[in-house]
Amino acid sequence: MTEDKDIITVMRLLQFTDSTFPVGTFSFSNGLETASFEKIVTDAGSLEAFARSQARQAAFSDGVAALHAHRAFLKGDYEACREIDNYLIMFKMNAEARLMIKRMGKKLAELAVRLFDNDLISRWLADIKSDDTPGTYPVAQGLVFAAAGIGEKDLFCSHQYGIVNMVLSAALRCVKVSHYDTQLILETLANEVPALYDEASQMEPKDMNAFYPELDILASLHEKGNMRMFMN
Amino acid sequence: MTEQIKEKTLAPEVDFSTAREMSRYLIEPEAMYVGAPGKHGYLRLGFELDKTGKSILRDLDRRHPLIVQQELYFDEEMPELPCVYILSSGGPNVDGDRYRQDITVKKDAFAFVSTGAATKLAEMRFNYSGLVQNIVLEDNAYLEFMPEPVIPCRHTRFISDTRLCVADSATVFYSEIFMGGRKYYKEGELFKYDILSVCSHGERPDGRQLFREKFVIDPLVENPRNLGVMGKFDVFANVIVMTPKDKADEIYNATEAFIDRKNMIAAGITRLPNDAGLLYKVLGMEPGPVKKLVREFCSTVRKTVKGRPVPPEFPWR
Repeated sequence: MTEDKDIITVMRLLQFTDSTFPVGTFSFSNGLETASFEKIVTDAGSLEAFARSQARQAAFSDGVAALHAHRAFLKGDYEACREIDNYLIMFKMNAEARLMIKRMGKKLAELAVRLFDNDLISRWLADIKSDDTPGTYPVAQGLVFAAAGIGEKDLFCSHQYGIVNMVLSAALRCVKVSHYDTQLILETLANEVPALYDEASQMEPKDMNAFYPELDILASLHEKGNMRMFMN
Repeated sequence: MTEQIKEKTLAPEVDFSTAREMSRYLIEPEAMYVGAPGKHGYLRLGFELDKTGKSILRDLDRRHPLIVQQELYFDEEMPELPCVYILSSGGPNVDGDRYRQDITVKKDAFAFVSTGAATKLAEMRFNYSGLVQNIVLEDNAYLEFMPEPVIPCRHTRFISDTRLCVADSATVFYSEIFMGGRKYYKEGELFKYDILSVCSHGERPDGRQLFREKFVIDPLVENPRNLGVMGKFDVFANVIVMTPKDKADEIYNATEAFIDRKNMIAAGITRLPNDAGLLYKVLGMEPGPVKKLVREFCSTVRKTVKGRPVPPEFPWR
C-alpha cells in the first residue's frame, strides 16, 4: 500500500515537472533571447554559465517562497500562504518576471482546482481572481505539491529543473547548441542543487536575496526592446 | 528638557546580528569594541519649508565621526535647493563600526544629499561595518540622494539596511555605486572583499510595504565574475526612484536600456513592484562613466518632477 502511494507520488512529481504541463513555461526564455542577441551567450559554455546564474537567482527567491508555501499548506495556514505570495512579488524587481510568475501561477491554480478537491487551493484561486493575492507560480507550486503529497525536497528539485529546462529549451531555438550540449548542462547543474537546497531550506523570507545585475540589464533590454520570439 | 538631552546623547542601536549572511562575522574586534564612541556614527537631517517657503535644513543632529555642517545653495539650475555633503572624520569604515542616518524631508520641501568623498570600507579581521538608513518623505517632498561610490577593500564586510518611507505624491532619487574594489592597488583587489549585503525597502507612510531589494555579494560562495552577475564589469550602480506613476512612466520612456560592448558600459531600467516607481542599474569599468550615467538619470528625474535639469558635475568631483 505504502509502495503504491510512493509510486503515485513520483508519477505526480513527473506530471507537474514535465515541460508540457500546461502552465506556459515554453513561452518564456528568461532573458536568454536578449543574451543571445547581445552575443553574451554564444555557445555551450556561456549557456551553462547563464543557466547557472538563473538557477541560483531562482533558488534564493522563488525557491525559498515555494518551500515556505509548501510548509504553510501542511500547517493549513492560509494567511502565511498569502503573506509569502505578497512577499515574493515585493522582492521581484523585474516587471516581466512578475508578469511571468503571476501568469503561470494563475494557470497552475486553475489546473489544481480541477485536479484536487482542496479548500485552501480553491480559496487561493478565488483570491487571485479578485486581485486579493498576486498568485505567484512558486507559491502555487508549493501548494500544489503539498496537496499532492510530494515532499519539499522534491518540490525544490522540480522548481530548479523547471528554471534550467526553461532556459535550455529556449536555447535550442536561439543559441547554437545541440541537444547533447543541453543535456550535459542539465546533468552538471543537477549536481549543484543539493547545496542550493541546503541553503534555501534554511532561509526565512527576509533572507531572500539576488545579485544578478547583468541578468537584470538583459531583462530590461528585453522589456524595452523589439525582439519578441518569446512572450513578455 | 531631560527628554531632549536624552534624545541628543543616545544614538539609536544598529544591530545586524540576526542577518544570516553576517553570522560568520560576529566576533568583537580586539581594538575598540562595537559601538564605542567614535565608532557609532549618527546623523539626523530634517529639511522643511520655512515661513517664506524656502527649503532649509531645520533639524541637524550628528555623532562623531559623521559630520554635516550646514546646507549650501550651490545648484545653478535649482538655486533654491539646499545641498548637503555628509563627511566622515574617521577615515574608512573599520570592523565594528556602526552608522545610522535618518533623513526627513517634510511636506513640499526638497533637498540634495551627497558625500564629500568616496566611502572607503577598510580591510576587516573580526567584525563588520553596518549602516542603517531611514529616509522619510512627506507629501510632495523631493530628495536627491546621490553619494560618491563605495570602495570595499580586501576582506571588507559591510551590511546596510535602507528604509524608504515615501508619500505617494513625493519623489526620492536614491543611488548607490559600488566599486569592485581597489582595482589598481598592488596586483588589484577586485572582488577580494568578504561580503557586501545591501537591502533597500520601500513603504508608504501608512506602513504598506511596496518592495524589498536585497543583494548579498559573497565572493566566497559565488564568483561575482560569473555571467549574469557582474560578468566582465567592475563597477555597479543601483538607483531607486520612488515617484507617482505618471512621472515614473515619463521617466521610463525617456530612459534608454543598452549594452555598449565597445565602451563596456550597460544600463537597464524596470518598474518597481506595486507601482512604487523605477529601478535603474548601471554596469561599467570605471566610476567616471557610471557616475555620469547616474547623474544623467537624476537629471531626467529632476526634469520630469521639477522641470529643471541637474547641472554638470563640478570638475573636481
